[in-house]
Amino acid sequence: MANTQLKKEISEALQNNVLRGALERFSRLYVIAREKAYEGYDFEDLRNNIQRVKSYAADHIDEMIDLFEKNAKARGAKVFRAANGKEANDYVRRIAKENNVKKVVKSKSMASEEILMNEALREDGLEVQETDLGEFIIAIEGKHPSHMVFPAIHLTKEQVADLFTGYTKKKNDPVISKLVKTARSVMRKKFLEADMGISGANIAVAETGTLFTFTNEGNARLTSTIPRVHVYIVGIEKIVPKFKDATYIMKALPRNGTAQNITTYVSLYTGATEAYLEDGTKGEKEFHIVILDNGRRKILQDEKFRQIFNCIRCGGCINVCPAFQLVGGHVYGGHAYTGGIGTILTAFLTSEETANQVQNLCLQCGSCTEVCAGKLNIPEMILELRNRHGAKTGLPFTQKFALDVVSNRRLFHSLLRIASVAQKPFTKGQPVIRHLPMFLSGLTEGRSLPAIAKTPFRDIFPTIKQDVPNPKGTVAFYAGCLVDFVYPRIGEGVVSALNEVGYKVVFPEKQSCCGAPASYMGDKENAVKSAILNIEALEAEKVDYIVSACPTCTHGLLDYQKLLEDKPEMLKRAKVLAEKLYDFPKLITMLGGLKDKGDGIPLKVTYHDSCHLRRTMGVYKEQRALLAGTSGIELIEMKESDRCCGFAGSYSIKFPEISVPILQRKIQNILETGAEVVALDCPGCLMQITGGLDQINSKIKVKHTAELLLDKRKK
Amino acid sequence: MVERLNDLYEKFKAKFEGVNGECYRVAKIEEIGNLAVKILANKGAKTIALYESPLSQAAKLKEKLCSAGFEVHTDNLFAASSQDDVGITEVNWGIAELGSMVQIAPEVDNRLCSTLVPIHLALLRTKSIVADVDEIMEILDNLPQIPGFVGFITGPSRSSDIERILEIGVHGPEQVILILVDE
Ligand code: SF4
Repeated sequence: MANTQLKKEISEALQNNVLRGALERFSRLYVIAREKAYEGYDFEDLRNNIQRVKSYAADHIDEMIDLFEKNAKARGAKVFRAANGKEANDYVRRIAKENNVKKVVKSKSMASEEILMNEALREDGLEVQETDLGEFIIAIEGKHPSHMVFPAIHLTKEQVADLFTGYTKKKNDPVISKLVKTARSVMRKKFLEADMGISGANIAVAETGTLFTFTNEGNARLTSTIPRVHVYIVGIEKIVPKFKDATYIMKALPRNGTAQNITTYVSLYTGATEAYLEDGTKGEKEFHIVILDNGRRKILQDEKFRQIFNCIRCGGCINVCPAFQLVGGHVYGGHAYTGGIGTILTAFLTSEETANQVQNLCLQCGSCTEVCAGKLNIPEMILELRNRHGAKTGLPFTQKFALDVVSNRRLFHSLLRIASVAQKPFTKGQPVIRHLPMFLSGLTEGRSLPAIAKTPFRDIFPTIKQDVPNPKGTVAFYAGCLVDFVYPRIGEGVVSALNEVGYKVVFPEKQSCCGAPASYMGDKENAVKSAILNIEALEAEKVDYIVSACPTCTHGLLDYQKLLEDKPEMLKRAKVLAEKLYDFPKLITMLGGLKDKGDGIPLKVTYHDSCHLRRTMGVYKEQRALLAGTSGIELIEMKESDRCCGFAGSYSIKFPEISVPILQRKIQNILETGAEVVALDCPGCLMQITGGLDQINSKIKVKHTAELLLDKRKK
Repeated sequence: MVERLNDLYEKFKAKFEGVNGECYRVAKIEEIGNLAVKILANKGAKTIALYESPLSQAAKLKEKLCSAGFEVHTDNLFAASSQDDVGITEVNWGIAELGSMVQIAPEVDNRLCSTLVPIHLALLRTKSIVADVDEIMEILDNLPQIPGFVGFITGPSRSSDIERILEIGVHGPEQVILILVDE
């Protein structure tokens, strides 16, 4: 899929109001319902266990498959190991022929979608029927699923009614209960006539040869009960060692997927059971299990990706993904897997090329890591895909050029200085501009961006009088590009607060861009360059702490350890840096916090959690306490305070069409609080949200915690 | 003991009803028949596919249903369950925490009578209600071998596949009724 094609599909998806409405409604309900479903459960404990049993199985995969096969066979199952999709499909075709099968019913199986089994069976003239309601609908529509759990979420009841009318040649009214009845009666006939059923498994137990299937509709039960031939398609990643290990997945899968305590049906099949045979008598059915590899072992050999085996395909990650919520699954291109985890699965199992395009949709907000039942780090894996792709093909020239500039400190900084002069005509005398000059142009579509400061923080710093009589120690301030060149006042706030807790601040002159933009765009070479530059500039060895007022930078600086894995000397220094590095609110709190004072003038403040600070660093209480402890400030929580604002570095440049609606939802949540000021701790978010508020001419101000504390305390 | 039972029952009932199930409790096995007749008559049901079980036999369920005028099938259950209004089976456990019923049903007729019919009426001994999933998995794990089929059933079949609106009764039963017996 070419990039233009991706853009086209995004725009189609965004114009599909049904899809957007349904996804948005669901995303709001999901969070609350999920929380309720987990009441009385220790989710962390649960997912630790899932991670434990699944990764054990992954580490012993051969033994597990052997064991599963042995135990399933002992109970009358016939087991076939398929190295790839073709082998699996050929096997099922052969079974069908040998058993004189004409009609096949299928309950949901993503593995069979992955290998395009329906198409293969139809080549032999078999009638294949998807029986899951959503799958049935999209099969009539002739499309692939738009969602892992709700395949037809992109369609309205009216559209479904039209599809059913076309299919049954009878008028169907757009009434959901009636449509469900139609599906029931159409499918009932198919079930009763079917000679072969094909199912997908959610769990396979090595110890007992048991397969678990979770459904709500009951189609999987019929698929496995009526036909005299039953075939299970099971990816090798579905195996857990012990029967009781399945319990963890039973608890997490429905809660994460649909926020249900349990699905209506959980069915456990162990070996061949009884069925009605061709002659109408009862007897043991033909029961086959196809164990599918199809690229999965390749994942196991890849250190960075083998955690994929811990995935239980619950869909939780997709349910909270802000990008997915806007565009839905079709945009992800693969014919089976969607969303962030889908991107990674697509890369290994179906199409690397597709994955390389759609990985760009990831905002790196980390929401998925909070809910993931298998404790996968999806953003990290996506970044790795990006890096590998970047290393292979190189970045487009303009992007590469911009990143080359950024990693060249002198050039970058002098360009920024020139920009601060050159931009004047565009600023309309306001602190926002709608066009950035020169190489950064293209940043501004659909939003207002801040002006480059007249005097960068590096020039202001020497003029700040630090009144610390008996300093307890020294803190080096890592400002990052935005604080340095766009929001120097944040820097002043940082220095002032640190002085108040008794520390002197130094500003290492040679610091430069942290390299996060290069990392995020998959340009490892420039990222490494920035890492070395900053490690040398910051000289962590000589100070007590390093403070950062930008969590994205903090994250970037922490990641130096990963970037420099193969440079032992630098790695050592990167570790020292990481140990001493803290985000502003965290460090201030650690050093004793600020004494309660403030101007006492009432001010309603709401707080936006930036993705990196909230999720990567786990800092969210500290800044709230600092703000609430300032007299005059009334802190009002907004809805979804930790939901991504859509900035995500270069993302807002690449996909403004997705970034902007995500921002709009944030703005809406802010407006609902009635606050006068939005406080936050990330200059990137500051830029994004300020731009969003400016577009609607709102009077609400956006301030970094350090700046707001300074305003309220040192007037 | 009795207290624990009542406590589990109360929890189970609340959860079972929370997922659109109908839950009844009787003290004696002999009461099952009359209650079943009353419930099913109320629903306007006429034909019944009955998968005989120790409880149904002890309750003389077939007799009672027949004499109340229902058409009751106990063999040829594939044909019967695909046409009859009601399927009756005995289930093995209830899970209080979830309102789930658990059946061991390697027999095809047992499964058909609980899946293919519009109304599934289940029978269960009250003392077989366990607290939670862990307990039931422990029980299953301790069986000499895992049965060929074990089904967890939690309410009637459902789908939210169209516009994310919850609809009851897709491929499986539209109504699930449970009669618990203390004896
Ligand atoms: S990645 Fe995690 S949240 Fe997503 S489907 Fe897999 S287990 Fe569920």
